[in-house]
Amino acid sequence: MSRPAHGLNTWLLQRVSALYLAAFVVYLLGHFLLDSPADYVQWRTWVAQPLVSTAFGVAAVMLVAHVWVGVRDVIMDYVHSLSLRMVLLAAVAFGLLVSVLWTLWVLVKVVSL
Amino acid sequence: MRFSIYRFNPDQDEAPYMQDFELPQPRAGMMLLEALIELKQQDESLSFRRSCQEGVCGSDGMNINGRNGLACITPLSQLKDPVVVRPLPGMPVIRDLVVDLSAFYRQYRQIKPYLIVNDPEPEVERLQSPAQRDQLDGLYECILCACCSTACPSFWWNPDKFLGPAALLQAWRFLADSRDQATDERLDELEGPYRLFRCHTIMNCVDVCPKGLNPTRAIGLIKHLMVKRAI
Repeated sequence: MSRPAHGLNTWLLQRVSALYLAAFVVYLLGHFLLDSPADYVQWRTWVAQPLVSTAFGVAAVMLVAHVWVGVRDVIMDYVHSLSLRMVLLAAVAFGLLVSVLWTLWVLVKVVSL
Repeated sequence: MRFSIYRFNPDQDEAPYMQDFELPQPRAGMMLLEALIELKQQDESLSFRRSCQEGVCGSDGMNINGRNGLACITPLSQLKDPVVVRPLPGMPVIRDLVVDLSAFYRQYRQIKPYLIVNDPEPEVERLQSPAQRDQLDGLYECILCACCSTACPSFWWNPDKFLGPAALLQAWRFLADSRDQATDERLDELEGPYRLFRCHTIMNCVDVCPKGLNPTRAIGLIKHLMVKRAI
C-alpha cells in the first residue's frame, strides 16, 4: 500500500533539527564564553577548522529544514486558498534555498582561504 | 446569579446575540445544567442538548466562561458571576447552544472505532491478560462530548482533514488493544501531514477534558509507534 508521505518524516526532521540546533547553540555559547576569538583573523581561523566549518554547514542546513517545517505548518493551518498557499510556500522555499546556499558558499570561501 | 447566554435562531435572527438572564435563588450544589433548565422556564425558546445529567452521555458540552465543559457536572459555585455560556467553538450553530457535530463524528468514523480481527472467530471470548486490559484505561472512558476537539485550534482550522484529539485518542485506544490486528493499516491511515500531524501539542484538549483524559499523550504514543515501525 502506498502511503502519503510527509507526515512522520517532516515531524522527525523537525525534532532532529531542533536537537542538533540546541546542541550547536550550547557549543557556540560555550566557545564564546570560554574561548572568545579576539579579532577577525582568530574568528576566521576557528571557523576554518574542518570540524567547526562542518558543524556550521550542518547547522545552516538544519536551521533551514527546521524553519521550512515550521513555516509550512503555519501556512497549512491558516492559508486555505490553494493558489495563495502555493505562492507563499514557493516564496518561503526560494528564500530559504537562497539563504542556505549563500551560507554554504561563505563557509566554503572561509575554509578554502 | 446572572447569566449571559448565546442566542441564535437561523430562521429568525440575522446575527447571533447574547441574552441576559437572572436566576434569583440558585440552590446549594446546583449544576449549570439545572440552572439552564430553570432559565428555559423563563424563556422556553432557549435550546440546548442534555440527557443523563451526570457526565456520562456527553450531550451538554458547551463553552462556559470561555472554557469547554459539561454543564451537568459544572457546579455554579465554581463559576464567576455573570456566567457566559456559548456553544462549543468552531462548529456550525444549529440553534442557541446546539451545534452541528457532523464533522466531529465523521472524523471519529475515519479511525474505524472497532476491533479489526482477521483470525477466525474463537470458540470462547477473545481474552486479555489484566496487564493488556490496563492498556485501555484512560482511553475507553471517552464519552465523545467534543469538548476537546472543539477546544483545539488545529481542529478549528482543518476540521475536515485533522482528526482532532477525540478521534486520535480513540485511534490509540484500538492501536493499544491487544486483540486488534490492524496496527499497520491504522498507522497507514494516520500518515500524511494532516490527520495526525496537525497536532502541535498545545494540550488544550487535556486542559478541558471533563473526564480527565489525556489525548496529547495518546497522540505522542501513536507517533512513538510510527517511529518504532519506521526504524
